[in-house]
Amino acid sequence: MWIERKALAAEIPAAAGLDTRRLCETLAALGFPVDGVAAREGTEALDVDITANRGDAMSHRGLARELAAKLQQPLAPLEASPAVEGAPGIDVRLETPACPVYSTAILELGMGDTPLEVQAFLLALESTPKRLPAVDASNELLHRFGHPTHAFDADRIRGAVAIRWARAGETLTTLDGVTRTLVAQDLVIADASGPIALAGVMGGDGTKVTEATRRVLLESAWFDPKTVRATARRHSLHTDASHRFGRGADPAMAPVARDLLVDRLRAWCGARLMGAWTVGSAPVAGAPVPLTETLLARVAGEPLSLAEAADALRRLGCSVDVETGGLRVIPPTWRHDLSIPEDLAEEVLRLRGYEHIPSVLPPLEGPPEPLSPSYLQRQRLARRLAHLGFHQTVTYGFISPEADVAFAAPGNPAEGRTLVNPLGQEYSVLRGSLLPSLRAAAEQNLRQGAREVRLFELAPTYASAPQGPVERFTLGMAWGGILDGEDYLSPARPVREADLSGIAQELGWDRLPEVRSLGEGLFGFELTVSELPPAEARVIPAFRPFSRFPAVERDLSLLVDLGQAYGALAAAMKAALPLDTLQDLRCVDVFRSKGLPEGRQAWLMRMRFQADRTLVGEEVDGWVAAALAAAESLGAKLRA
Amino acid sequence: MDSMQRQYEEGLLAWWGVILRGSKESDGPGEAMVLREMKKRSADFYNLLPECKDLDSLNRLKGEFVGRDGSHAAKLMDRLKTAPKEQKRDLGAAINGLKQGWEEGLKTRQAELGAAKKDLNALADRWDPSLPPPVPARGALHPLNRLMDRLVEVFRPLGFHVEEGPEVETEAHNFDGLNIPEDHSARASSDTFYLAAHPDLLLRTHTSPVQVRTLLRVAPELGTRGGIRFLAPGRVYRKDEIDPTHSPMFHQVEGMLVGHGIGMQHLKGTLEYALRALFGPHTEIRLRPSYFPFVEPGCEVDVSCPLCGAAGCRVCKGSGWVEILGAGLIHPNVLTYAGIDPTVWSGWAFGMGVERMAMMLSQTPDLRLFFENDQRFLQAMGGLD
Repeated sequence: MWIERKALAAEIPAAAGLDTRRLCETLAALGFPVDGVAAREGTEALDVDITANRGDAMSHRGLARELAAKLQQPLAPLEASPAVEGAPGIDVRLETPACPVYSTAILELGMGDTPLEVQAFLLALESTPKRLPAVDASNELLHRFGHPTHAFDADRIRGAVAIRWARAGETLTTLDGVTRTLVAQDLVIADASGPIALAGVMGGDGTKVTEATRRVLLESAWFDPKTVRATARRHSLHTDASHRFGRGADPAMAPVARDLLVDRLRAWCGARLMGAWTVGSAPVAGAPVPLTETLLARVAGEPLSLAEAADALRRLGCSVDVETGGLRVIPPTWRHDLSIPEDLAEEVLRLRGYEHIPSVLPPLEGPPEPLSPSYLQRQRLARRLAHLGFHQTVTYGFISPEADVAFAAPGNPAEGRTLVNPLGQEYSVLRGSLLPSLRAAAEQNLRQGAREVRLFELAPTYASAPQGPVERFTLGMAWGGILDGEDYLSPARPVREADLSGIAQELGWDRLPEVRSLGEGLFGFELTVSELPPAEARVIPAFRPFSRFPAVERDLSLLVDLGQAYGALAAAMKAALPLDTLQDLRCVDVFRSKGLPEGRQAWLMRMRFQADRTLVGEEVDGWVAAALAAAESLGAKLRA
Repeated sequence: MDSMQRQYEEGLLAWWGVILRGSKESDGPGEAMVLREMKKRSADFYNLLPECKDLDSLNRLKGEFVGRDGSHAAKLMDRLKTAPKEQKRDLGAAINGLKQGWEEGLKTRQAELGAAKKDLNALADRWDPSLPPPVPARGALHPLNRLMDRLVEVFRPLGFHVEEGPEVETEAHNFDGLNIPEDHSARASSDTFYLAAHPDLLLRTHTSPVQVRTLLRVAPELGTRGGIRFLAPGRVYRKDEIDPTHSPMFHQVEGMLVGHGIGMQHLKGTLEYALRALFGPHTEIRLRPSYFPFVEPGCEVDVSCPLCGAAGCRVCKGSGWVEILGAGLIHPNVLTYAGIDPTVWSGWAFGMGVERMAMMLSQTPDLRLFFENDQRFLQAMGGLD
């Protein structure tokens, strides 16, 4: 909110003596940080950030009140000449408690313009003067005192005025020219012809003040904040008025703001007051809020005297009774945010200054908890993969339905994972797989000239279920491009599916991972993190003895069919070998060439034997022969 | 080679003298021809010898000049047979001297070549440490994860552990349990993503529902366990269009502590410790009053600018302070919602935006870089410990 310095100083003369930096610091220390300072119209305007709970501070007067309390300096008196309340000129009926008080006046306008200094004031706040005194005066009052008011063209009002709930389907063309269909929860000002204003939000076009207006009906009321917020949101109509009523205006200001408005119109254009009256009354204050010495000391971090606390609260406009061990506090009419003892403690601390709060480490009351195995597992997995050369990615949890359907598991329909209000179609489905996102990131890297791309992501994937999407932490990997060949010792080669299998195996995945092609020379797989073997429960695993006798290695070059499944052959060979001495059996080379019999390939199988004794050549020969026989039973032949 | 040449000149003069002494003009052209040829061959030899750069060419030269058959030396010896008897001795000695000179020259050259080859072989075998070596591939953690890990590390010594919760949340956990009014604008579909098939479910807008879940879970055992203190790092979603400073998904780290008699002093003490651990021992912190529905009192926390040491820079806009997180004492309604008696227990909570902090610390100009996952960015920004 923009605050003009001269107008602020008019409400609290002491502010004139503060330089801008000091003023900004003081406001920030009170909870109103200044986001920027702008030089405008020969003065300075401050962009003050005011939190939603402080509707009372959304004006020059409101901030002046805060400064006065903090600096212990007087506020300028509020100069309004109270209008003599007379007989109603127009019948006004309050039909709902959502509007408990409604002050009004009828004036006959004379000739005159909005004073230049008021025009400059409005311009400094980025508000355009309309050069219609009734409109500009209302606007000026709102910024200066925080109380929204409204002026109707009195001659265009038909019959009696009622503040009532709208009837569903009623329409109103508001000042912005939009015709709105109302619902029963909209509070309206209505005359005999129907709604003429959305209460606390915006006036109607049909009764607006124009150059031709001769008589105005002024409105200065108080409307229920919740109702105003709902209507503003329902009609996407956020105005200066709804902003303030929606956060709670000061009901006691209703007649006062009316009087201030009357004074201005008299002074600016020689307006003649025809009558002024107030219907209803401001709601009575609620029960006093207690603040005990104990609670105050607990929140503040040190004992504070009740006298000091009472003084601070009184400076803020509270009425305070000091009792044994505590205070009973009635907040002022403009403070709707003080309802529990903690609220009052905050006010005391705020005026004292948060810089006086002591700094203490909280004592441990019980034993700390270890980090959860699931969290640790993911943290270690990420570090391990990074050490294996992979880059951790972070991508959005939602993707397009097209990208999702290509990778989500069958039986995981997107319907249960679709957002009702996505940013766009491409962000509309909570992903069933990490691979579409990884593919996009990998492709982007390759397009940008990366020779090799190695990515992983650890994030939840979502599975549709009757009670809502189930989240599972998933590891997704993408690997593609050219591997190695960047130094004089290692030859370059394209990344292959097997490379991803190798990573899965390295992570302890005991099944064959489903390696998917993500594009030309780009592969990926994903797995559920909780299905990876958990970290050893023991800090150091149990000792397992190993042989200190020499190992014997034997190679068998086998001709096998091109369609031969390796797993079956390896299993058959293993079954034929003594498990206690076989340390390892694996294919260490695959040879495919036209020189081989058609439909055949050569696998170089390496066996490694070791036992708790020196192995004898003949027994190893026997095992190798047995392994060969087992392979031959599957159609393999020893390659000559 | 110079010395060899000199030897040769001396040798040549020696046997030239011998020849001259014993010969006469009348001896005829034969002897003179032999002498001329010897002189020419010898000059050739000593010219060719240094041209031999390897053993092959040296062996060829050897064959040509001193080989058993057909070499120049052999041919000269043949000529000796027809020489006059009285000259045979001297001429023979001269030719032998010449041949010996050649053989010595060949031997010396061979030794030289051998030494050179040895040097070459040694050079080929030697490792040149300035050649780029093979380096294992290096990956990287994401900078946002790295920062969150760091925060967890910082709070661990104070007894904080990590709590986590789902990203798909109920309105109850995301709003109701946090004292957020039913008509608060954050609940609107313009701010929060909702699920089509489950109108009661949304994507959490902050990590605070983890507070609600954790407090609900530990409420019955709070007394026996002696309060609770935890961090809740995670991903959150808000309906913001994607631009250099906004993202519909971002990360938060939430911190919460519940105990007996917890006040603002404990919040300040903890944050002072943690932010100093994070930014350095000379870091100052500043609390300013602010408002969040789930705390009372509430505050914003500023930290003395970690980039300029509070001297004033672009990041702190010359103020020396940077806003780093929001915090406060847990609102009694939040404790009550979870079944915890706010007259017995109290606590504090804070929440910070991870991207905001990462951008501030790294001066990354565009938030979107964190979700683009360019390996160059990840290498430079995330790296590895």
